[in-house]
Amino acid sequence: MKVLVAVKRVIDYNVKARVKPDNTGVDLTNVKMAMNPFCEIAVEEAVRLKEKGVASEIVVVSIGPKVAQEQIRTSLALGADRGILIETDEEVQSLDAAKLLKAVFEKEQPNLVILGKQSIDSDNNQTGQMLAALTGMPQGTFASEVAVEGDKVNVTREIDGGLVTVALNTPAVITTDLRLNEPRYASLPNIMKAKKKPLELTSPADLGVELKPSLTTLKVEEPATRQAGIKVADVAELVDKLKNEAKVI
Amino acid sequence: MTQEQLIEELKKLLDEGKVRTDNDALQTFGKDWTKIHEPKPIAIVFPKSTEQVQAIVKFANEHNIGLVPSGGRTGLSAGAVATNGEIVVSFDYMNQILEFSGSDRTVRCQAGVVTEQLQNYAEEQGLYYPVDFASAGSSQLGGNISTNAGGIKVIRYGMSRDWVLGLKVVTGNGDILELNKDLEKNNTGYDIRHLFIGAEGTLGFITEATMKLTRQPTNLTVLVLGLADLDNTMNVLQTFQQKIDLTAYEFFSHQAMGHVLAHGDVPAPFEGEAPYYALLEFEAISDGVMDDAMALFEKCVEEGWVVDGVISQSETQAQNLWRLREGISESIAPHTPYKNDISVVVSKVPEFLQEIDAVVTEHYPDFEIIWFGHIGDGNLHLNILKPSDLPKEEFFEKCLQVNKWVFQIVEKYNGSVSAEHGVGLTKKDYLSYTRSPTEIEYMKGIKRVFDPKNIMNPGKVIDL
Repeated sequence: MKVLVAVKRVIDYNVKARVKPDNTGVDLTNVKMAMNPFCEIAVEEAVRLKEKGVASEIVVVSIGPKVAQEQIRTSLALGADRGILIETDEEVQSLDAAKLLKAVFEKEQPNLVILGKQSIDSDNNQTGQMLAALTGMPQGTFASEVAVEGDKVNVTREIDGGLVTVALNTPAVITTDLRLNEPRYASLPNIMKAKKKPLELTSPADLGVELKPSLTTLKVEEPATRQAGIKVADVAELVDKLKNEAKVI
Repeated sequence: MTQEQLIEELKKLLDEGKVRTDNDALQTFGKDWTKIHEPKPIAIVFPKSTEQVQAIVKFANEHNIGLVPSGGRTGLSAGAVATNGEIVVSFDYMNQILEFSGSDRTVRCQAGVVTEQLQNYAEEQGLYYPVDFASAGSSQLGGNISTNAGGIKVIRYGMSRDWVLGLKVVTGNGDILELNKDLEKNNTGYDIRHLFIGAEGTLGFITEATMKLTRQPTNLTVLVLGLADLDNTMNVLQTFQQKIDLTAYEFFSHQAMGHVLAHGDVPAPFEGEAPYYALLEFEAISDGVMDDAMALFEKCVEEGWVVDGVISQSETQAQNLWRLREGISESIAPHTPYKNDISVVVSKVPEFLQEIDAVVTEHYPDFEIIWFGHIGDGNLHLNILKPSDLPKEEFFEKCLQVNKWVFQIVEKYNGSVSAEHGVGLTKKDYLSYTRSPTEIEYMKGIKRVFDPKNIMNPGKVIDL
């Protein structure tokens, strides 16, 4: 079974994001970047499928600037076999990403495509679903468990109020949720080996996709700062404030 | 004068409500993290200014009452414990950052500023206060300076001492001194500032400090390496130091990591096992530095020193790898560990560690020994865990015997019985393993100059 995994380069989860002074977006100059945490889980799941003997080849694809090679190299160090970077410095929105991934899907003909359920920068939660719609593949989103049985894959999904398991015919799209697995660290020996693994560079034009943003960002703002708390002198004052200021009683 | 009258007099020196004698306060502020001693202070006072501290010191001199300083109370040597009817001077209400100078890269703080508060403040100014350790969220600057706190970045940034440009202190005589005037260069005789750093409040109390700041580190990257043998720690350190400025070099044993993994949700660094691990941190400023790190790792593997290793790919991973080291103290706490904080010159570490390990294992084969520490600075934390079937008293009694053997070996290697935790009460009896009798006499002489009536933190470090 061949597995295609999509990974995205995003601002590091632990970095405090700062808004550009002109409110056009988040300031990315000299900011630490890393692989989207949900994508790490996607890579880990593919590697586990390979370790179980289910997957025979793992191809990792990313869309973004040249430096996104770093995240592909990380995936290769974690156990993927080869990488594809669709290089572009343009903004790539969910639909365009899905179209690009569709092109890669048609070229590579994988049995399974695994993606993170969303990226932590734009938080859209769309690309996996759009890819499924564009290719006509069945989809198992928000996966907390993946079990391959012959030509079928059973995906346990986290939904409101519990879990639901769907059986999908392959090829299928899976998007990962947090509890699917715990990603491993990239070991240094594997990082060195990963340098010799193939990484193909391509572009939206090569894949016949024209990037057409369908959304315009009007403004990006910091969340409103919370007001500092105050100390009340006694219960009477507290009750008064709850009644007249907070208006909760 | 009765005790009640004393307290009434004391109240006149402080703001309203800033003298407490309730049992809750006496128990809380009368001790630090060492829970061996029974706190017995007569009052806890919370001054708001240097002048109030001065008034308290003069009052204590007049009435011959000991004063014990109290900061974040995270000390591990009972330096801030009041066991003998003293007045505890808490710096909790002297927590203001007073002045910042961007061009001097300095910040003037009151003694009660919490370490993390200073770190965050520095970050907001685009700068960095590099002294860092597990208790940074509670410990206060005055206590850090008074114990010359070290921590996890000493290999690159030094101890607290290296970041103090100026101090305002109240001496045991009740004089206010402004020491060093925040100058980087000031060769005008004895540098009294340095006497107060690490003095554990025995000469006087620090009320304000001007601290140096530095640039923020870039892209801190963490490696955890599995070491084939203890001797390899030094080879690996030297190999990396030839090319890379490390910001941390920590080590821990497999047993130590086992406790952390069993305690919480921290993932293991890699599948295989190694008897010892080293954690390295450096600034990956460029691809060149990363390439160097890879090449150095390869060399260490070729030499047979390192069996496996991982590298952080994100801040989250870097933090999780740090937790393998920083979570040790907490994870072994339920086993009533007997702790030691010893140091030797870096090159002697493996030999020294093996000798101590052999002695303890020979006499107490049932004891589990947990080693970890800031090995890049020659600083080791020896922890002996209490076997669950051994009563606490018996265990501590046996540990006192271990103390002697350990400190004899420390003395033989010209090491220190307290690398970064200070002397306080717990290491006072062992000071002579590190300091000569003549040297201790000079220390007493210094104490008499600043605090002739033995008011300031009496009974700590040395007895007069």
